[in-house]
Formats: sequence, C-alpha cells, structure tokens
Amino acid sequence: MANGAIGTATATTGARVVSEDDVIRVEDLKLSFYTTLGVVRALNGVSFNIPRGKVIGVVGESGCGKSQTGLAIMRLTPGRIEGGRILFREFNAGEEIDIVQLDKNGPEMRKIRGNHISMIFQEPMTSLNPCYTVGYQIEEAILLHQTQDKAEARRRAVDILRKVGMPNPERIADSYPHQLSGGMRQRAMIAMALSCTPTLLIADEPTTALDVTTEAQILDLMRELQHEIGTSIMFITHNMGVVAQMCDEVAVMYLGRIIERAAVDDIFYDPKHPYTISLLRSIPRLGVARGQKLESIKGTVPDPYSTVPGCPFHPRCPAAIPGLCDAVMPDEVFVAGSRTHTVRCHLYT
Amino acid sequence: MATAAGELPKAARGKKQEDVGQIPQWKLMVRRFSQSKLSVGALIVLGFMYTMMIFSDFIAPYPHDALDSNNAFAPPTQIVWGPEGPGIYGLKQELDIERFQWIYTPDPSTIYPIRFFVQGHEYYFLGLFPSRLHLFGVEAPPEANAKIFLWGADKEGRDLFSRVLKGSQISLTLGFFGVFLFVVIGSIVGTASGYFGGALDNLIQRLIELIRSFPDLPLYMALAAAVPLTVPVTVRYFMITIVIAVVGWTGLAREVRGKVLAFRSADYTAAAIAAGASHWHIITYHLLPNAMSHIVVVGMLAIPGAIGLETALSFLGLGILPPAVSWGVLLRDAQTVQAVVTYPWLLIPVILLIVTVMAFNLLGDGVRDAVDPYA
Amino acid sequence: MLSFIARRLVNMLFLLIVVSFVGFWIIQLPPGSILDVQIQRLRMQGGSLPESMIQAMRERYGVDDPFYIQYWKWIQRSLQGDFGTSFETDQKVAERIYNRLGISFGLSLTALLFTWLVAIPIGVYSATHRYTWPDYLITFIQFLGLSIPGFLLALVLLIMASRLWDQPIGGLFSPQYADAPWSLAKVLDFIRHVWIAIVVLAIGATAGLTRIMRANLLDVLNMQYIQTARAKGLKESTVIWKHAVRNAIHPLVMALGTTLPALVVGETLIAIILSLPTIGPLYLDALRSQDMYLAGTILVMLSALLLIGNLLADLLLAWVDPRVRLE
Ligand SMILES: Nc1ncnc2c1ncn2[C@@H]1O[C@H](COP(=O)(O)OP(=O)(O)OP(=O)(O)O)[C@@H](O)[C@H]1O
Ligand code: SF4
Ligand SMILES: [Mg+2]
Repeated sequence: MANGAIGTATATTGARVVSEDDVIRVEDLKLSFYTTLGVVRALNGVSFNIPRGKVIGVVGESGCGKSQTGLAIMRLTPGRIEGGRILFREFNAGEEIDIVQLDKNGPEMRKIRGNHISMIFQEPMTSLNPCYTVGYQIEEAILLHQTQDKAEARRRAVDILRKVGMPNPERIADSYPHQLSGGMRQRAMIAMALSCTPTLLIADEPTTALDVTTEAQILDLMRELQHEIGTSIMFITHNMGVVAQMCDEVAVMYLGRIIERAAVDDIFYDPKHPYTISLLRSIPRLGVARGQKLESIKGTVPDPYSTVPGCPFHPRCPAAIPGLCDAVMPDEVFVAGSRTHTVRCHLYT
Repeated sequence: MATAAGELPKAARGKKQEDVGQIPQWKLMVRRFSQSKLSVGALIVLGFMYTMMIFSDFIAPYPHDALDSNNAFAPPTQIVWGPEGPGIYGLKQELDIERFQWIYTPDPSTIYPIRFFVQGHEYYFLGLFPSRLHLFGVEAPPEANAKIFLWGADKEGRDLFSRVLKGSQISLTLGFFGVFLFVVIGSIVGTASGYFGGALDNLIQRLIELIRSFPDLPLYMALAAAVPLTVPVTVRYFMITIVIAVVGWTGLAREVRGKVLAFRSADYTAAAIAAGASHWHIITYHLLPNAMSHIVVVGMLAIPGAIGLETALSFLGLGILPPAVSWGVLLRDAQTVQAVVTYPWLLIPVILLIVTVMAFNLLGDGVRDAVDPYA
Repeated sequence: MLSFIARRLVNMLFLLIVVSFVGFWIIQLPPGSILDVQIQRLRMQGGSLPESMIQAMRERYGVDDPFYIQYWKWIQRSLQGDFGTSFETDQKVAERIYNRLGISFGLSLTALLFTWLVAIPIGVYSATHRYTWPDYLITFIQFLGLSIPGFLLALVLLIMASRLWDQPIGGLFSPQYADAPWSLAKVLDFIRHVWIAIVVLAIGATAGLTRIMRANLLDVLNMQYIQTARAKGLKESTVIWKHAVRNAIHPLVMALGTTLPALVVGETLIAIILSLPTIGPLYLDALRSQDMYLAGTILVMLSALLLIGNLLADLLLAWVDPRVRLE
C-alpha cells in the first residue's frame, strides 16, 4: 500500500491503448519550476495521446498545468522537464521522435516548431509583434520551413489569410497588428499557425479573450480547417461548452495530472471522476430549472508549493474514502466495459 | 493508515512551509529585503556612516578649521607602538627647494602617546550640549609638532579626518532633505493634479513641462548661482536644499498623477465617492496609501543623485562655499591632477562619496525589490 | 504626420520663448552684476575710477534697466544672431559660444555613439544570460558606472592614466601640435588627449542605457509575441534581435532626446578637471562672474538643444514603431 503513495505512482502507461496512429504520445511527463519561494511541481506525470486527425480537449481549473503541457510539447516552457517522454510521429507509421531528448533550441526542434507542431495562444492582442506587418509575420514562418522564394511566401501568406476568412487579405497582410480587432488577430494567428500545414496544432484557449459571436466564428473556422487539412488539435480550454462543440475526446486535468480521459460523449453523459462530475455541474445548462442554484466546486486548488498526500482531489472530494483517498494515490484504470475511458480514482479500482 | 504519514516526506515539507498568502504585507517586504545581502550590507554601512556623522565632533580630534602652517600637506600619520600603548612621532618640516614641496620626516626620539576620551576643543554635541570630550587625542607639549592626522592634512595644515567628519554633516544630510522636500512637493502637487484635474491639472502640467524644458545640470547651476554669496551658511544650506527640490519634484509629480488617475477610476474610489466621503478622506485613505510604496521607492532611489548633486555644485563653487565644509568643498583641493598625484590622501572624500552613493543605490534597489517585486 | 511635426514645432517655439524669459530671469536674480566685479577690479589695479566713466559703463551695459527691458534688448539682438558682448572679455558672445560649442558637440556625439554601440549589445547579452556570472559582472560594473559621479571617475581615471600609462593629461593637444596644421600625428595626439573624456562622459550614460536595455528586454521577452516567434521555429538569436530588441529599443530612442544635451553639459565638471575648452566651463565662468548675457544665452541654447533632441527622438520613435507612426 505504501508504495502507492504520491511520487511513486508511475505505472500508468500500461492502461493505455497504444495506437500506431497517434501523432503524439506523452508519457509520464514531469515538469518543475525552481523559484526563489520553492519548487513548483507543475506537472506530476501527465500521460495522454492524440490520435491523428482528432481534436482532443484538455480541460481543468486555472493553474492545473494545461498550458505548461502544451508548452512542454513545443519545448517552450520555462520550467524544467524532469522526466517522461513526448513521442512525436510526423507521418502515419513514420518514425517516432522523443521531443524531450532534443536540444530545445537546436535545429531539430526548430524544424518541428511552427512546421510540424504549431501553437496559438490565448491573448490575440499580444500574440503578434507590434513592429511588423501581419503578412510579414506569416511569411516569416513560410520562408523558414517551406520556401526560399519571397514572392511565393507572400502569395501563400495572402492565400492562408483568405482561407481564415479575412475580408481583404492583401490589405490585411500589409496592416500592423494594432490596426486589427481581437477576432481578426486571432484569425491571423490561426493563419500563421496553419501556414505550414502542421501535423499537430496546440490551441491554448484561443477564444477565451473573444466575445461570444467572434468565439463561435473562430471555432467554426478551426473545425472547418481541421477537416480540410487533417491537423490534429490539442484544444486547451476551461469552457465545457466549447469542448462539446469542438472536441472528439477530452482529457480532464487536475493539479498536474490527467484524471479522466474519454470520448466527448462519455465525458458529458457518463462522467466517472468526482472532479469531472463537479466540473460539469458547475456549468449552466438549458433545461435546468430556473432558480436552481449552480453548483461550485467546494474549496480551492491547494497551492502549488505543497504536495497533498493520496489523491490530490481528496480535500475537496465529496466521495472521498477516509483512510484510503488521503493516503494512497489512485492509479489510472479503464472504466469497466470500456477500452477508451480511463479514470484515476479509487472508486473505480 | 498511521504508517502513511511517516512515509510522506514531501507532504511533511509542504506543511512546514508557511502559507505565503497569510503573512502580513510589511513582513513579506522585510523578508524580501533581508534576502538581499547587498542591500542589508548597504544599510549597515549607511548606519555606520550616519552614526559617525552624529558623533562627528566627538570623534574629530581637531577643529575642522584649525590652521597649522607647520603641517601643510602633512601625510597621514604613522602610528607606532610605544611604552604607553599606541603613539606617534613628532614631525620635522623641511622645504624641498627644487620641487617646492614640504617634506616631513618623523623624529623617532620621542613617542607621544595617543589617549582616549580626552579633553580638547569645545564643541556643541548635536548643536545643543557644550562638551570638550573627544574620542582620542595626542598628548604632546605645544612646542612639539606632534599632531595625529589619520587621513593627512590639507594645504593649510587642517586635519582631513576632522574635516571629512565635519563635511559629512552637510553632505549626508543636504541631499536627504532635498529629496524629502521634493517627495513632499511632488506627492502633493501630483495628487492634486490627478485628483482635481481640470484647469489646475493643466496649469501644473504646463509648469512641469516648462521646468523640464531646461537641461538639469545647467538649471541647477543657474539656480545655485542665484543664491547670494553673502548669506550665512545655514541659509545657504537651506537654499541649496530648495534648489535640489525645485527641479526634482516634477518627475515624481507626473508619476503620482498617473497613479492617482488610475486609482481614481478604480471601483473602491467610486464607491467611496458614492458613499459621500470627503475629498480629504478619499485622498488620505484611498489614494495616498496606494501610491505610498511607489513614492518611497522613488525617493530612496533619488537620494544618491541628490548627494552627488550637492557635491558637484560645491565642487564647482556654486553650492556650499568655504569656510563651510562639505565633501564637495573638500574635493576642490583635489581638482588638479598634480595635487592628487602628489597628495593622494586628498582623494579620501572621493572614496567616501562613492561608498555612500553606492550604498544608497543598493539600499534603494533593495527597497524597491522588497516593496514591488514585480517592478 | 506633417501636421504633427508642425504642431510640435509651434509648441516648441512657444516653450522656447517662455524658457528664455524664465531662464534670463533666473540668471539675473543674484544681486549686483559683473560690472561691480569689474569696477572693483579696476579700482584695485588703478586706484580711483571717475564716476562719469562708471556711469558710461552702466549705461552701455544697460545694468540699471529694469529686467524686462534687459530681456527685450537681449532677445532682440539674439534674434539677429548677435548674442551681445560678453561683459567679461568684451568678445562677442556668439564667437565665444560657437568656438566651444563645436568641441562640445563633437565630444558628445562621439560619446553618444560609443554609448549606443556598447550599451545595446551588453544589455542584450545581460538580459539573455540572466543569473549567470557575466550578467552579475555586467550588473556590477553598470552599478559602479551609475553610482560613481562622472567627475569622480574622471579624477580616478586621470590619475591612473597619468601614472600607469603615461598618458597626457588635460587639454586637446600637446603644445607642439596646438597650432600645427592637421596631420596624422596631430590626430593621434588629439585622440590620446580626448579618449579619457569620451570614456568618462560615456560611462554613466552607457551604464544607464545598459540597465534600461536589460530591463526592457526582460519585459519584452515575457511578451506573448516572443513565444509566438519561438513557436514559429525561429532561431533564438533571430527571436532576440529581430523580435525582442526591436520592441525594447523604444525607451532608448526616447532617452536620446535627453541624452544629447545631458552629454553636452555633463562634461562641465569633467571638462574642468580635464581642462577642455568646451561649453561647460564657459557657462560656469559666466555664472560665477554674473556675466548674464553669456550665461543666459548658453542656458537657452542648451534648452533649445534639449527640445530639438526630444523632437528628433519622437520622430525617430515614429520611424521605429508603427503604432506611433500611424496615430
Ligand atoms: N514561470 C513560472 N514560474 C513558476 N511557476 C509557474 C510558471 N509558469 C507556470 N507555473 C505554474 O505551473 C502551474 C501550471 O500553470 P499553467 O499555466 O499550465 O496553468 P493553466 O492550466 O494553463 O491555467 P490557466 O487556465 O490559468 O491558463 C501553475 O500552478 C503555475 O503556478
Ligand atoms: S480517489 Fe478518492 S478522493 Fe480522489 S477523486 Fe476518487 S474518491 Fe475522490
Ligand atoms: Mg493557461
């Protein structure tokens, strides 16, 4: 029993179906920040895979490590990767590369970044460099990975701007970011990210900063382009509504771990983990009687400098089993009768 | 499950750590400040210097203005160990005809002992209590040329150590008061300008723009030159303080104004206005406390510049004027390379000045980092 | 853009008028005038001075006129390029100033160039190698440079130069070259004389700019668009130099407006120690001898320089930053 205590629970990969057709497989990824106030363990053994051509939603409360997971795949995190593997496969049945082993600023990694894996960030207002035109910033990526020809790069940049639904792509290409609205800038970011037709797109809350109408348009656009190009998307959000609209599968994160992973329908109609259940209860839905109170998840996320013994969710869990949950870390297991739905909770072991 | 606790070192460590969110703000500041060894060191150095300054008349063995032609440019005195503890030799003064310099040779026949807590010239401790007690002095008959010059003597044979101590009374305080004054002016004007806005704000902004249209140093020089040469030292001291403040406040006023504008539009200010709070109440309870840490940091960081400025003005003969002494006045003797190469001890005020200015800079940096770690 | 410049120019002109008025007022504040100083000197030299002669001098210099008339006369003549006759030397103010302004300007521009060439690369290095020992070293040196007032540094460097490297001290030329025509030897001699001045002049500003550059770059490196640039797969050096430095350079450009006049006058103290014939010592002399036309003219000229510097900095900023440009 004692062996199951935190920090030693690593036997998770056994529970996953390893598919030949995953673009990325993250195995037991550990990431820490060494700050003056102490060590922050941001990721404590994250494992998941992204199948080719699928959209995976990654959800969880603020600070649970969603962005850091994405940045770790890009090797752009300022933190230190302390263990685990990130296996990236560019083609079907191609060779797998362990991104963790690459030099983060080396030529191999730079060849992957922006070319095979690209990323969109949350803040469209600040994601584009104010000193260069939008077109120039897109061309930069194309010139780096696709062609040496400036005119060709320019043509492709305008093309992709047209593709993301920009009304007047030539003019937009010559505009500076501050001349565009937030939605337009996010479109420009998407254009930049897709300009090299990447295998994987990591979208870190791409619509959080936008208003609802613009959000819907951007989501539609992403879905459309995803179908067209066949890019896999790791879609980071904390909006369950967006998940329902966008994603094929969902991974739920809590304190630097994935605690439940299933197809989108399973998550919404048959959630298993108490955290997922409360997460779903905390969103308003049509059909719920007026006046009925929305639930919030009790308690707050423990501060990142300390480590909670046992299941990290137990201080807030309504179903916690005394003596077990506060001492032993649950392993990731398949939900009975499913080959895709995994959960990390003692209720299901 | 009692076993589990013993096997969870990480969890234990997590518990021992204090919850950062529950420590009062000032304690966090003190903790952050004390983490910076350099700043703490600077604080200690400055504490020492200011203590020396307070006791300067007691520590100084001679009056700062005691002329002594027998000891013009006498080098720092060599201290020897005699039968009665530490002592010094008398000096023989000769003129080097070729180079036209005084040459001093110690006369080892007699050792004049150094005594502690001796009676000497009269002074007023803190300007209030008359006293003759001095930390140390040399026991020698008046006819023997045996004086202790820890840091040598200047061209008039005045003890540089005593003069530097005396000078610290001006150099360590004038810049300080100048900054204090401009912080007060800057905060008041900036707050008024940001809070009341309108014509007042406009007027103040134009005034600031005007002052800032002059280059700093020439303006300081012109203002200092406008102080009449004939006024007594104390008046001159305050005039120069005002000169420093008159130009310095503009930058701070602009920053405070910006802060006040931001706070004014904040919700809690709006709430306070809605609740019928008076202007005075809003300014003193809501705006100032918020801008305070910033004001303190700006002030701290401005002190070294003000000290340097006083020295520079005095060095140029526009600030403090002889016979009063400040470090800048002392530096006038070190103006020519010739003098400094021949009498290197004249540079001691430079060293002290550098140490002081650096210590204030380090202290200011430490305070800034402690108050606002994200700045 | 053109209307922006026009508006700025008008505003500047207006400010300059007020500045000249206030500046002149400050300069004439001290009681007495250079005339008193001169009369005293003449008396000491040659015994009695006829009252009528004193009166003639008073009238000639307009000493007894009220302030605003003095100002008006001074301004009128200034606008015609005649800055008056110096009380002290009877030389034309304009000549005295132009002679020295040239040297001041040359020195300051060289120092400015030096400042930028050194500060930017060092600031960038320091910011991108944070918490390494070179960064600590740079921070330390920079701290010294900022903390030690320039004239003290000049003293120390001078002693070192004269003692250790046997460098000439003070002046612009060695005596044998002073009146010689320009030659390679003369140029070398000139460099040997002024390098200390340039280094000392530049060191404070360099330290300041390095610090600003480092801080800004650190800020900019935290911006999202830097991540975007990295996420494209750009080389780290491209990310730094093309995407970060370009954005971090604004405050440096803005500082340009104040750096130039600061350098021009910053040498006051240094020029005294190094006995360089620049504008600073002239200004000091004029102030101390209450030569108000000369002092007033220099003060206003320096202010004009500051305002022009600011305007140039703004234009340069518009050139660097599209957000400013398109406003
Ligand atoms: N630069 C950093 N230094 C120290 N700790 C960091 C740093 N960046 C992130 N962290 C820590 O890593 C953890 C995960 O952060 P992350 O940004 O991945 O959260 P997130 O799930 O994306 O949250 P959000 O929804 O707010 O974006 C946080 O607890 C945070 O404290
Ligand atoms: S393991 Fe226990 S505490 Fe954790 S979620 Fe499951 S029931 Fe709750
Ligand atoms: Mg995030």
